[in-house]
Amino acid sequence: MSAQTRVFLGNMAFVIKKMMGRKKTDRASRLRFWSALNDVGINSVFFIVITLGFVGTIMMLHGGYQAARIIGDSNLVGPQILPLMIRQLGPTLAGLMVATRVGTGMAARIGSMVVTEQVDALRLSNACPVNYLITPSWHAALVMVPILSIFGITAAFFSGMLTAYVVFETAPGVYADWSFVSGLDAVEALIKSISFGAVIPLIAGTCGLSTHGGSAGVGRATTNAVVLSSLAVIILDFFIGALILGLR
Amino acid sequence: MSWGSFVRSADEMLTLILALVTGALGGRFDARETWQQLYLVGVRSLPIVIVTAIFAGGISAIQVSAHVVRFQAYDAVGWGFGFVVFRELGPLLIGLMFSGRVGAFNAAELGTMKVTEQLDALRVLAINPLNYLVGPRIVAMVVMMTALVMVGNVFALLGGMLTAQVLVDVDPMVFWISLTDYVRPVDLFNGLVKAGLFGFVIGLVSCRHGLAVDGGAPGVGRAVNQAVVASALGIFCFDYLVTAILP
Repeated sequence: MSAQTRVFLGNMAFVIKKMMGRKKTDRASRLRFWSALNDVGINSVFFIVITLGFVGTIMMLHGGYQAARIIGDSNLVGPQILPLMIRQLGPTLAGLMVATRVGTGMAARIGSMVVTEQVDALRLSNACPVNYLITPSWHAALVMVPILSIFGITAAFFSGMLTAYVVFETAPGVYADWSFVSGLDAVEALIKSISFGAVIPLIAGTCGLSTHGGSAGVGRATTNAVVLSSLAVIILDFFIGALILGLR
Repeated sequence: MSWGSFVRSADEMLTLILALVTGALGGRFDARETWQQLYLVGVRSLPIVIVTAIFAGGISAIQVSAHVVRFQAYDAVGWGFGFVVFRELGPLLIGLMFSGRVGAFNAAELGTMKVTEQLDALRVLAINPLNYLVGPRIVAMVVMMTALVMVGNVFALLGGMLTAQVLVDVDPMVFWISLTDYVRPVDLFNGLVKAGLFGFVIGLVSCRHGLAVDGGAPGVGRAVNQAVVASALGIFCFDYLVTAILP
Protein backbone atom coordinates (compact mmCIF):
# COMPACT_ATOMS: atom_id res chain seq x y z
CA MET A 1 0.00 0.00 0.00
CA SER A 2 1.51 3.29 -1.06
CA ALA A 3 1.88 6.23 1.28
CA GLN A 4 -0.78 8.09 -0.71
CA THR A 5 -3.34 5.33 -0.16
CA ARG A 6 -2.54 5.23 3.55
CA VAL A 7 -3.04 8.98 3.87
CA PHE A 8 -6.32 8.74 1.96
CA LEU A 9 -7.65 5.90 4.13
CA GLY A 10 -6.56 7.75 7.27
CA ASN A 11 -8.40 10.85 6.11
CA MET A 12 -11.48 8.81 5.35
CA ALA A 13 -11.43 7.23 8.81
CA PHE A 14 -11.14 10.74 10.27
CA VAL A 15 -14.11 11.95 8.20
CA ILE A 16 -16.24 8.96 9.27
CA LYS A 17 -15.32 9.48 12.92
CA LYS A 18 -16.24 13.15 12.74
CA MET A 19 -19.52 12.42 10.96
CA MET A 20 -20.53 9.81 13.52
CA GLY A 21 -19.72 12.05 16.47
CA ARG A 22 -22.39 14.08 18.27
CA LYS A 23 -23.04 17.46 16.78
CA LYS A 24 -25.44 20.19 17.66
CA THR A 25 -28.19 21.07 15.19
CA ASP A 26 -28.98 24.74 15.03
CA ARG A 27 -30.57 26.97 12.47
CA ALA A 28 -27.33 27.37 10.47
CA SER A 29 -26.75 23.63 10.17
CA ARG A 30 -30.35 23.08 9.09
CA LEU A 31 -29.89 25.75 6.43
CA ARG A 32 -26.75 24.02 5.19
CA PHE A 33 -28.70 20.77 4.98
CA TRP A 34 -31.45 22.41 2.93
CA SER A 35 -28.97 23.98 0.55
CA ALA A 36 -27.24 20.59 0.17
CA LEU A 37 -30.62 19.00 -0.58
CA ASN A 38 -31.06 21.58 -3.29
CA ASP A 39 -27.58 21.00 -4.69
CA VAL A 40 -27.67 17.18 -4.62
CA GLY A 41 -31.31 16.75 -5.50
CA ILE A 42 -33.03 19.55 -7.36
CA ASN A 43 -29.99 20.53 -9.43
CA SER A 44 -29.38 16.91 -10.50
CA VAL A 45 -32.95 16.06 -11.51
CA PHE A 46 -32.64 17.43 -15.03
CA PHE A 47 -29.32 15.69 -15.69
CA ILE A 48 -30.57 12.35 -14.37
CA VAL A 49 -33.87 12.48 -16.24
CA ILE A 50 -32.05 13.22 -19.52
CA THR A 51 -29.42 10.49 -19.14
CA LEU A 52 -31.81 7.81 -17.87
CA GLY A 53 -34.28 8.79 -20.58
CA PHE A 54 -31.62 7.90 -23.15
CA VAL A 55 -30.99 4.64 -21.29
CA GLY A 56 -34.66 3.61 -21.49
CA THR A 57 -34.70 4.21 -25.24
CA ILE A 58 -31.40 2.39 -25.76
CA MET A 59 -32.57 -0.65 -23.78
CA MET A 60 -35.84 -0.84 -25.67
CA LEU A 61 -34.05 -0.57 -29.04
CA HIS A 62 -31.56 -3.32 -28.13
CA GLY A 63 -34.22 -5.57 -26.66
CA GLY A 64 -36.63 -5.03 -29.52
CA TYR A 65 -34.08 -5.70 -32.30
CA GLN A 66 -32.77 -8.81 -30.54
CA ALA A 67 -36.23 -10.19 -29.84
CA ALA A 68 -37.31 -9.54 -33.43
CA ARG A 69 -34.19 -11.33 -34.69
CA ILE A 70 -34.28 -14.38 -32.43
CA ILE A 71 -37.90 -14.85 -31.31
CA GLY A 72 -39.62 -12.84 -34.01
CA ASP A 73 -41.85 -10.91 -31.63
CA SER A 74 -40.82 -7.70 -29.88
CA ASN A 75 -43.97 -7.47 -27.74
CA LEU A 76 -42.36 -9.53 -24.98
CA VAL A 77 -39.53 -7.07 -24.45
CA GLY A 78 -41.30 -4.54 -22.21
CA PRO A 79 -42.08 -6.93 -19.36
CA GLN A 80 -38.51 -8.27 -19.53
CA ILE A 81 -36.72 -4.94 -19.31
CA LEU A 82 -38.90 -3.37 -16.61
CA PRO A 83 -37.36 -5.40 -13.74
CA LEU A 84 -33.90 -4.71 -15.18
CA MET A 85 -34.59 -0.97 -15.20
CA ILE A 86 -35.84 -1.04 -11.63
CA ARG A 87 -33.25 -3.18 -9.92
CA GLN A 88 -30.18 -2.52 -12.04
CA LEU A 89 -29.90 0.29 -14.53
CA GLY A 90 -32.02 2.88 -12.73
CA PRO A 91 -30.18 2.93 -9.39
CA THR A 92 -26.71 2.24 -10.81
CA LEU A 93 -26.72 4.83 -13.56
CA ALA A 94 -28.40 7.37 -11.25
CA GLY A 95 -25.62 6.61 -8.75
CA LEU A 96 -22.93 7.05 -11.40
CA MET A 97 -24.49 10.33 -12.51
CA VAL A 98 -24.62 11.59 -8.91
CA ALA A 99 -20.97 10.57 -8.52
CA THR A 100 -20.19 12.49 -11.71
CA ARG A 101 -22.14 15.64 -10.94
CA VAL A 102 -22.28 15.92 -7.15
CA GLY A 103 -19.07 14.05 -6.33
CA THR A 104 -16.86 16.18 -8.57
CA GLY A 105 -18.71 19.32 -7.48
CA MET A 106 -18.04 18.58 -3.80
CA ALA A 107 -14.39 17.72 -4.39
CA ALA A 108 -13.87 20.83 -6.52
CA ARG A 109 -15.53 23.12 -3.98
CA ILE A 110 -13.83 21.66 -0.90
CA GLY A 111 -10.50 21.30 -2.72
CA SER A 112 -10.45 24.94 -3.75
CA MET A 113 -11.39 25.92 -0.19
CA VAL A 114 -8.39 23.91 1.04
CA VAL A 115 -5.87 25.53 -1.33
CA THR A 116 -7.23 29.03 -0.68
CA GLU A 117 -6.92 28.32 3.08
CA GLN A 118 -10.63 28.76 3.75
CA VAL A 119 -10.67 25.39 5.49
CA ASP A 120 -7.94 26.62 7.85
CA ALA A 121 -10.11 29.67 8.49
CA LEU A 122 -12.96 27.32 9.44
CA ARG A 123 -10.69 25.47 11.87
CA LEU A 124 -9.57 28.81 13.35
CA SER A 125 -13.20 29.72 13.99
CA ASN A 126 -13.61 26.40 15.82
CA ALA A 127 -15.92 25.03 13.12
CA CYS A 128 -15.23 21.41 12.17
CA PRO A 129 -14.60 21.33 8.39
CA VAL A 130 -16.10 17.83 8.14
CA ASN A 131 -19.34 18.77 9.85
CA TYR A 132 -19.48 22.07 8.02
CA LEU A 133 -18.72 20.83 4.49
CA ILE A 134 -19.34 17.09 4.20
CA THR A 135 -22.06 16.07 6.68
CA PRO A 136 -24.87 18.14 5.09
CA SER A 137 -24.15 16.66 1.66
CA TRP A 138 -23.96 13.19 3.18
CA HIS A 139 -27.40 13.49 4.77
CA ALA A 140 -28.77 15.07 1.60
CA ALA A 141 -27.42 12.27 -0.60
CA LEU A 142 -28.90 9.58 1.68
CA VAL A 143 -32.31 11.17 1.15
CA MET A 144 -31.93 12.27 -2.43
CA VAL A 145 -30.21 9.41 -4.29
CA PRO A 146 -33.21 7.05 -3.80
CA ILE A 147 -35.55 9.83 -4.92
CA LEU A 148 -33.37 10.59 -7.93
CA SER A 149 -33.33 6.88 -8.77
CA ILE A 150 -37.12 6.90 -8.79
CA PHE A 151 -37.08 9.90 -11.14
CA GLY A 152 -34.54 8.15 -13.34
CA ILE A 153 -36.52 4.88 -13.45
CA THR A 154 -39.67 6.82 -14.33
CA ALA A 155 -37.87 8.66 -17.14
CA ALA A 156 -36.44 5.38 -18.49
CA PHE A 157 -39.87 3.75 -18.26
CA PHE A 158 -41.61 6.45 -20.27
CA SER A 159 -38.88 6.84 -22.89
CA GLY A 160 -38.87 3.06 -23.32
CA MET A 161 -42.63 3.12 -23.72
CA LEU A 162 -42.40 5.83 -26.35
CA THR A 163 -39.69 3.93 -28.25
CA ALA A 164 -41.71 0.72 -28.09
CA TYR A 165 -44.70 2.53 -29.51
CA VAL A 166 -42.90 4.51 -32.22
CA VAL A 167 -40.30 1.98 -33.41
CA PHE A 168 -41.87 -1.42 -32.69
CA GLU A 169 -45.57 -0.46 -32.61
CA THR A 170 -46.04 -2.08 -29.23
CA ALA A 171 -49.14 -0.75 -27.45
CA PRO A 172 -48.30 1.04 -24.17
CA GLY A 173 -50.55 -1.43 -22.34
CA VAL A 174 -48.53 -4.38 -23.65
CA TYR A 175 -45.23 -2.67 -22.81
CA ALA A 176 -46.24 -1.74 -19.26
CA ASP A 177 -46.78 -5.28 -18.05
CA TRP A 178 -45.61 -5.45 -14.43
CA SER A 179 -46.06 -9.20 -13.97
CA PHE A 180 -42.30 -9.88 -13.81
CA VAL A 181 -41.56 -7.12 -11.30
CA SER A 182 -41.38 -8.43 -7.77
CA GLY A 183 -41.07 -6.69 -4.42
CA LEU A 184 -37.50 -7.92 -4.24
CA ASP A 185 -36.61 -5.75 -7.25
CA ALA A 186 -37.81 -2.64 -5.42
CA VAL A 187 -35.90 -3.71 -2.29
CA GLU A 188 -32.74 -4.19 -4.37
CA ALA A 189 -33.15 -0.74 -5.93
CA LEU A 190 -33.64 0.86 -2.52
CA ILE A 191 -30.65 -0.87 -0.91
CA LYS A 192 -28.45 0.03 -3.86
CA SER A 193 -29.43 3.68 -4.02
CA ILE A 194 -29.11 4.23 -0.27
CA SER A 195 -25.65 2.69 -0.20
CA PHE A 196 -24.57 4.75 -3.22
CA GLY A 197 -25.85 7.86 -1.45
CA ALA A 198 -23.80 6.91 1.60
CA VAL A 199 -20.46 6.34 -0.14
CA ILE A 200 -20.37 9.06 -2.81
CA PRO A 201 -20.20 12.14 -0.53
CA LEU A 202 -17.86 10.30 1.82
CA ILE A 203 -15.33 9.53 -0.92
CA ALA A 204 -15.73 12.85 -2.73
CA GLY A 205 -15.47 14.84 0.52
CA THR A 206 -12.36 12.94 1.58
CA CYS A 207 -10.77 13.59 -1.81
CA GLY A 208 -11.59 17.28 -1.43
CA LEU A 209 -10.12 17.54 2.07
CA SER A 210 -6.97 15.65 0.99
CA THR A 211 -6.18 18.29 -1.65
CA HIS A 212 -2.73 19.85 -1.67
CA GLY A 213 -0.74 21.92 -4.14
CA GLY A 214 -2.59 24.72 -5.91
CA SER A 215 -4.75 24.43 -8.99
CA ALA A 216 -3.03 21.21 -10.18
CA GLY A 217 -3.92 19.74 -6.79
CA VAL A 218 -7.60 20.74 -7.14
CA GLY A 219 -7.68 19.08 -10.56
CA ARG A 220 -6.12 15.92 -9.12
CA ALA A 221 -8.56 15.81 -6.21
CA THR A 222 -11.57 16.24 -8.51
CA THR A 223 -10.32 13.51 -10.84
CA ASN A 224 -9.78 11.15 -7.92
CA ALA A 225 -13.25 11.92 -6.57
CA VAL A 226 -15.06 10.96 -9.77
CA VAL A 227 -12.93 7.86 -10.40
CA LEU A 228 -13.07 6.48 -6.86
CA SER A 229 -16.75 7.18 -6.26
CA SER A 230 -17.79 5.71 -9.65
CA LEU A 231 -15.68 2.65 -8.93
CA ALA A 232 -17.29 2.34 -5.50
CA VAL A 233 -20.74 2.47 -7.13
CA ILE A 234 -19.83 -0.31 -9.59
CA ILE A 235 -18.26 -2.53 -6.92
CA LEU A 236 -21.15 -2.06 -4.46
CA ASP A 237 -23.58 -2.78 -7.29
CA PHE A 238 -21.83 -6.09 -7.95
CA PHE A 239 -21.89 -7.24 -4.34
CA ILE A 240 -25.47 -6.13 -3.57
CA GLY A 241 -26.64 -7.75 -6.82
CA ALA A 242 -24.88 -11.02 -5.93
CA LEU A 243 -26.40 -10.94 -2.44
CA ILE A 244 -29.94 -10.44 -3.73
CA LEU A 245 -29.46 -13.08 -6.44
CA GLY A 246 -28.65 -15.50 -3.62
CA LEU A 247 -32.00 -14.64 -1.97
CA ARG A 248 -34.06 -15.36 -5.08
CA MET B 1 -27.18 26.22 -18.69
CA SER B 2 -28.43 29.29 -20.53
CA TRP B 3 -28.66 29.66 -24.30
CA GLY B 4 -25.78 32.12 -24.37
CA SER B 5 -23.38 29.69 -22.73
CA PHE B 6 -24.69 26.86 -24.91
CA VAL B 7 -23.95 28.78 -28.09
CA ARG B 8 -20.55 29.83 -26.80
CA SER B 9 -19.65 26.28 -25.88
CA ALA B 10 -20.79 24.95 -29.26
CA ASP B 11 -18.76 27.67 -30.94
CA GLU B 12 -15.63 26.77 -28.97
CA MET B 13 -16.01 23.08 -29.75
CA LEU B 14 -16.38 23.86 -33.46
CA THR B 15 -13.17 25.89 -33.23
CA LEU B 16 -11.43 22.88 -31.70
CA ILE B 17 -12.74 20.52 -34.40
CA LEU B 18 -11.61 22.99 -37.04
CA ALA B 19 -8.16 23.17 -35.46
CA LEU B 20 -8.03 19.37 -35.40
CA VAL B 21 -8.99 19.08 -39.07
CA THR B 22 -6.71 21.84 -40.33
CA GLY B 23 -3.91 20.47 -38.16
CA ALA B 24 -4.38 17.01 -39.68
CA LEU B 25 -4.59 18.35 -43.23
CA GLY B 26 -1.61 20.63 -42.86
CA GLY B 27 0.46 17.88 -41.24
CA ARG B 28 0.91 19.98 -38.12
CA PHE B 29 0.66 17.05 -35.74
CA ASP B 30 3.47 16.91 -33.27
CA ALA B 31 4.45 13.24 -33.50
CA ARG B 32 6.31 13.14 -30.18
CA GLU B 33 3.43 14.76 -28.31
CA THR B 34 0.97 12.30 -29.91
CA TRP B 35 3.04 9.27 -28.89
CA GLN B 36 3.43 10.64 -25.41
CA GLN B 37 -0.32 11.23 -25.09
CA LEU B 38 -1.09 7.73 -26.38
CA TYR B 39 1.25 6.28 -23.79
CA LEU B 40 -0.03 8.46 -20.93
CA VAL B 41 -3.72 7.90 -21.71
CA GLY B 42 -3.28 4.16 -22.07
CA VAL B 43 -1.10 3.63 -19.04
CA ARG B 44 -3.09 5.96 -16.84
CA SER B 45 -6.39 4.21 -17.44
CA LEU B 46 -5.49 0.55 -17.99
CA PRO B 47 -5.79 -0.59 -14.33
CA ILE B 48 -9.08 1.22 -13.75
CA VAL B 49 -10.50 -0.13 -17.03
CA ILE B 50 -9.56 -3.69 -16.10
CA VAL B 51 -11.19 -3.43 -12.66
CA THR B 52 -14.30 -1.79 -14.15
CA ALA B 53 -14.53 -4.42 -16.88
CA ILE B 54 -14.29 -7.34 -14.45
CA PHE B 55 -17.04 -5.90 -12.27
CA ALA B 56 -19.17 -4.87 -15.25
CA GLY B 57 -18.92 -8.47 -16.48
CA GLY B 58 -19.92 -9.71 -13.05
CA ILE B 59 -22.88 -7.31 -12.80
CA SER B 60 -24.16 -8.30 -16.24
CA ALA B 61 -23.83 -11.99 -15.46
CA ILE B 62 -25.79 -11.50 -12.23
CA GLN B 63 -28.59 -9.59 -13.92
CA VAL B 64 -28.82 -11.97 -16.87
CA SER B 65 -28.76 -14.92 -14.47
CA ALA B 66 -31.73 -13.54 -12.54
CA HIS B 67 -33.76 -13.79 -15.76
CA VAL B 68 -32.29 -17.15 -16.68
CA VAL B 69 -33.02 -18.74 -13.31
CA ARG B 70 -36.67 -17.75 -13.68
CA PHE B 71 -37.04 -19.43 -17.10
CA GLN B 72 -34.56 -22.26 -16.45
CA ALA B 73 -32.83 -21.28 -19.70
CA TYR B 74 -29.24 -21.88 -18.67
CA ASP B 75 -27.92 -22.03 -22.22
CA ALA B 76 -29.02 -18.42 -22.84
CA VAL B 77 -26.66 -16.91 -20.26
CA GLY B 78 -23.82 -16.49 -22.73
CA TRP B 79 -26.03 -14.90 -25.36
CA GLY B 80 -27.62 -12.38 -23.00
CA PHE B 81 -24.30 -11.64 -21.40
CA GLY B 82 -22.30 -11.23 -24.59
CA PHE B 83 -24.88 -9.00 -26.15
CA VAL B 84 -25.31 -6.73 -23.13
CA VAL B 85 -21.61 -6.42 -22.35
CA PHE B 86 -20.02 -6.17 -25.79
CA ARG B 87 -22.60 -3.87 -27.23
CA GLU B 88 -23.82 -1.74 -24.37
CA LEU B 89 -22.61 -1.97 -20.82
CA GLY B 90 -18.91 -2.53 -21.60
CA PRO B 91 -18.40 0.60 -23.72
CA LEU B 92 -20.78 2.62 -21.50
CA LEU B 93 -19.21 1.86 -18.12
CA ILE B 94 -15.65 1.92 -19.47
CA GLY B 95 -16.50 5.21 -21.20
CA LEU B 96 -17.79 6.76 -17.99
CA MET B 97 -14.70 5.63 -16.06
CA PHE B 98 -12.45 6.81 -18.89
CA SER B 99 -14.18 10.18 -18.77
CA GLY B 100 -13.46 10.36 -15.04
CA ARG B 101 -9.87 9.19 -15.27
CA VAL B 102 -8.60 10.67 -18.53
CA GLY B 103 -11.17 13.35 -19.41
CA ALA B 104 -11.15 14.94 -15.97
CA PHE B 105 -7.36 14.74 -15.79
CA ASN B 106 -7.10 16.34 -19.21
CA ALA B 107 -9.43 19.21 -18.30
CA ALA B 108 -7.49 19.76 -15.08
CA GLU B 109 -4.14 19.68 -16.86
CA LEU B 110 -5.15 22.12 -19.60
CA GLY B 111 -6.92 24.31 -17.02
CA THR B 112 -3.79 24.45 -14.88
CA MET B 113 -1.71 25.28 -17.94
CA LYS B 114 -4.12 28.10 -18.70
CA VAL B 115 -4.21 29.64 -15.21
CA THR B 116 -0.41 29.39 -14.87
CA GLU B 117 -0.09 31.12 -18.28
CA GLN B 118 1.70 28.20 -19.94
CA LEU B 119 -0.59 28.55 -22.96
CA ASP B 120 0.55 32.13 -23.39
CA ALA B 121 4.14 30.89 -23.15
CA LEU B 122 3.44 28.48 -26.03
CA ARG B 123 2.03 31.35 -28.10
CA VAL B 124 5.15 33.41 -27.36
CA LEU B 125 7.19 30.53 -28.78
CA ALA B 126 5.03 30.72 -31.95
CA ILE B 127 3.42 27.34 -31.21
CA ASN B 128 -0.32 27.19 -31.76
CA PRO B 129 -1.69 25.67 -28.52
CA LEU B 130 -4.73 24.28 -30.33
CA ASN B 131 -2.61 22.31 -32.79
CA TYR B 132 0.04 21.35 -30.29
CA LEU B 133 -2.16 20.35 -27.34
CA VAL B 134 -5.65 19.53 -28.55
CA GLY B 135 -5.02 17.42 -31.67
CA PRO B 136 -2.74 14.79 -30.10
CA ARG B 137 -5.01 14.52 -27.07
CA ILE B 138 -8.20 13.86 -29.02
CA VAL B 139 -6.43 11.40 -31.32
CA ALA B 140 -4.93 9.60 -28.32
CA MET B 141 -8.31 9.34 -26.62
CA VAL B 142 -10.09 7.96 -29.69
CA VAL B 143 -7.38 5.35 -30.32
CA MET B 144 -6.92 4.38 -26.69
CA MET B 145 -10.61 4.22 -25.82
CA THR B 146 -11.14 1.74 -28.68
CA ALA B 147 -8.13 -0.32 -27.60
CA LEU B 148 -9.17 -0.25 -23.95
CA VAL B 149 -12.68 -1.47 -24.75
CA MET B 150 -11.11 -4.40 -26.63
CA VAL B 151 -9.00 -5.23 -23.57
CA GLY B 152 -12.01 -4.57 -21.33
CA ASN B 153 -14.18 -7.03 -23.30
CA VAL B 154 -11.72 -9.83 -22.54
CA PHE B 155 -11.68 -9.05 -18.83
CA ALA B 156 -15.46 -8.58 -18.70
CA LEU B 157 -15.83 -12.02 -20.28
CA LEU B 158 -13.58 -13.51 -17.59
CA GLY B 159 -15.50 -11.73 -14.82
CA GLY B 160 -18.84 -12.82 -16.27
CA MET B 161 -17.84 -16.47 -16.69
CA LEU B 162 -16.45 -16.62 -13.17
CA THR B 163 -19.60 -15.01 -11.68
CA ALA B 164 -21.95 -17.28 -13.64
CA GLN B 165 -19.95 -20.32 -12.55
CA VAL B 166 -19.89 -19.35 -8.87
CA LEU B 167 -23.40 -17.92 -8.42
CA VAL B 168 -25.69 -19.88 -10.75
CA ASP B 169 -23.44 -22.84 -11.55
CA VAL B 170 -23.26 -22.34 -15.31
CA ASP B 171 -20.35 -24.24 -16.79
CA PRO B 172 -17.88 -21.89 -18.59
CA MET B 173 -18.03 -24.14 -21.65
CA VAL B 174 -21.85 -23.84 -21.86
CA PHE B 175 -21.45 -20.10 -21.40
CA TRP B 176 -18.87 -19.89 -24.18
CA ILE B 177 -20.89 -21.98 -26.65
CA SER B 178 -24.08 -19.96 -26.21
CA LEU B 179 -22.00 -16.79 -26.53
CA THR B 180 -20.34 -17.83 -29.78
CA ASP B 181 -23.59 -19.24 -31.20
CA TYR B 182 -25.66 -16.11 -30.86
CA VAL B 183 -23.36 -13.10 -30.56
CA ARG B 184 -22.29 -11.87 -33.98
CA PRO B 185 -19.04 -10.09 -34.86
CA VAL B 186 -21.16 -7.06 -35.74
CA ASP B 187 -22.12 -6.76 -32.04
CA LEU B 188 -18.46 -6.50 -31.09
CA PHE B 189 -17.85 -4.05 -33.93
CA ASN B 190 -20.82 -1.95 -32.82
CA GLY B 191 -19.34 -1.68 -29.32
CA LEU B 192 -16.00 -0.56 -30.74
CA VAL B 193 -17.66 2.13 -32.88
CA LYS B 194 -19.33 3.41 -29.72
CA ALA B 195 -15.99 3.34 -27.91
CA GLY B 196 -14.28 5.42 -30.57
CA LEU B 197 -17.09 7.98 -30.58
CA PHE B 198 -17.08 8.16 -26.77
CA GLY B 199 -13.32 8.78 -26.91
CA PHE B 200 -13.87 11.63 -29.35
CA VAL B 201 -16.63 13.20 -27.24
CA ILE B 202 -14.58 12.92 -24.05
CA GLY B 203 -11.52 14.42 -25.74
CA LEU B 204 -13.40 17.30 -27.33
CA VAL B 205 -15.42 18.19 -24.24
CA SER B 206 -12.54 17.93 -21.78
CA CYS B 207 -10.23 20.03 -24.00
CA ARG B 208 -12.94 22.66 -24.43
CA HIS B 209 -13.61 22.94 -20.69
CA GLY B 210 -9.92 22.84 -19.84
CA LEU B 211 -9.10 25.68 -22.25
CA ALA B 212 -12.07 27.77 -21.03
CA VAL B 213 -10.88 27.91 -17.40
CA ASP B 214 -10.53 31.21 -15.68
CA GLY B 215 -10.22 32.17 -12.04
CA GLY B 216 -7.41 30.15 -10.49
CA ALA B 217 -7.80 26.94 -8.50
CA PRO B 218 -11.60 27.19 -8.01
CA GLY B 219 -11.96 27.68 -11.76
CA VAL B 220 -10.01 24.48 -12.42
CA GLY B 221 -12.28 22.51 -10.09
CA ARG B 222 -15.39 23.94 -11.74
CA ALA B 223 -14.07 23.14 -15.20
CA VAL B 224 -13.40 19.51 -14.27
CA ASN B 225 -16.91 19.21 -12.85
CA GLN B 226 -18.47 20.66 -16.01
CA ALA B 227 -16.25 18.52 -18.23
CA VAL B 228 -17.34 15.21 -16.67
CA VAL B 229 -21.01 16.22 -16.62
CA ALA B 230 -20.96 17.30 -20.28
CA SER B 231 -18.99 14.18 -21.27
CA ALA B 232 -21.58 11.96 -19.59
CA LEU B 233 -24.39 13.69 -21.48
CA GLY B 234 -22.44 13.33 -24.72
CA ILE B 235 -21.76 9.64 -24.05
CA PHE B 236 -25.44 8.83 -23.51
CA CYS B 237 -26.45 10.90 -26.52
CA PHE B 238 -24.00 9.14 -28.88
CA ASP B 239 -24.91 5.79 -27.34
CA TYR B 240 -28.49 6.43 -28.37
CA LEU B 241 -27.54 7.59 -31.86
CA VAL B 242 -25.32 4.58 -32.57
CA THR B 243 -27.96 2.19 -31.21
CA ALA B 244 -30.65 3.78 -33.35
CA ILE B 245 -28.58 4.01 -36.54
CA LEU B 246 -26.71 0.67 -36.44
CA PRO B 247 -29.21 -1.94 -35.29
